Amino acid sequence: MLAEFFRWLVNSPWSHVINGYEWIFPAIQSLHFIGFALSIGTIAIVDLRLLGLGMRRQAPAELAADLAPWTLAGIAVMLITGPLMFSTDAVAYHFNPSFQFKMLCLMLALLFHFTLHRRAVHPDTPPIAAKLAAVTSLLLWTAVVGGGRMIAFI
Amino acid sequence: MTIPSMLEWIESTNLSIAIREGGLPYPIIGGVHLLAIALFGGMLLATDLRLLGWTMRSRPFSDVWHQFRPWKRVGFVIVVVTGLLLAWAEPVRLYDSPSFWVKMALFALVGVHALVFRAKVYGHPEQLDAGISSRAKLAAALSLILWAGLVVSGRLIAFDASFEPVSPSESRLTHHSPSSQ
Repeated sequence: MLAEFFRWLVNSPWSHVINGYEWIFPAIQSLHFIGFALSIGTIAIVDLRLLGLGMRRQAPAELAADLAPWTLAGIAVMLITGPLMFSTDAVAYHFNPSFQFKMLCLMLALLFHFTLHRRAVHPDTPPIAAKLAAVTSLLLWTAVVGGGRMIAFI
Repeated sequence: MTIPSMLEWIESTNLSIAIREGGLPYPIIGGVHLLAIALFGGMLLATDLRLLGWTMRSRPFSDVWHQFRPWKRVGFVIVVVTGLLLAWAEPVRLYDSPSFWVKMALFALVGVHALVFRAKVYGHPEQLDAGISSRAKLAAALSLILWAGLVVSGRLIAFDASFEPVSPSESRLTHHSPSSQ
């Protein structure tokens, strides 16, 4: 079932296009990088603010609200370019331990971002809980990027 | 000392060998490089987007500028240091990589950009609180383009002929690893 889906992905029209030209894959990967800089970068800004490590001219809730559209835009770019790259070599990615680790961390990071992290910026949240949420968020996203980098090596 | 012999000398140093052939150091330094790009990039994007009026409009620009500046510097230093370490590991191949030279040219342009816009934009952020000048918007747009260009050219280095040509029969997954050479 899964194997069939992967075979279908690898043979899909877009996989053929991406695999057909040498420059498309690195171009998609560059977009992926810009997407994660936008999303993870703006999330990190809010996390550092929650930890009291700068950005003190704005309240965490204000920063988070201001940056939210850009965080979402970055996440959207990541979630489009990522699966495109996966499609080109689905089986190899599926069995790659770094990829599996990355996907697990990504699911946790996204889940955390849209649930507890949202509440952490609320002014009524106790500072210790907000700081814990910020550290968790930074660690999860660091693991996502680290796992992504390791795909090419392990 | 000629350039090729200098590059070979760099490759023969213990630090270069340790990063290139040590297994984990290369991807770890690469990972830190990426994380710093996200940190520095996020701050830079937020600052530039504020200049363009696309985010944090209720905040004066000087607030945005001052609060992101220390972290932008931290991110920039980490990006440059990890980038130098990665370059130190494989100077000979980088020397033959067109994308690497495009990236260095863009990096030089980043310096030119900072010098050009220092006087009227970045040097006096308070002056922009009353209204963002079109010069400042131009500076922000150019900064975004330069930054995106650095990301793209940096990523393309791994795909240059001097690294490992992509052959359709083999997986791309391992082709930017120096140890797979």
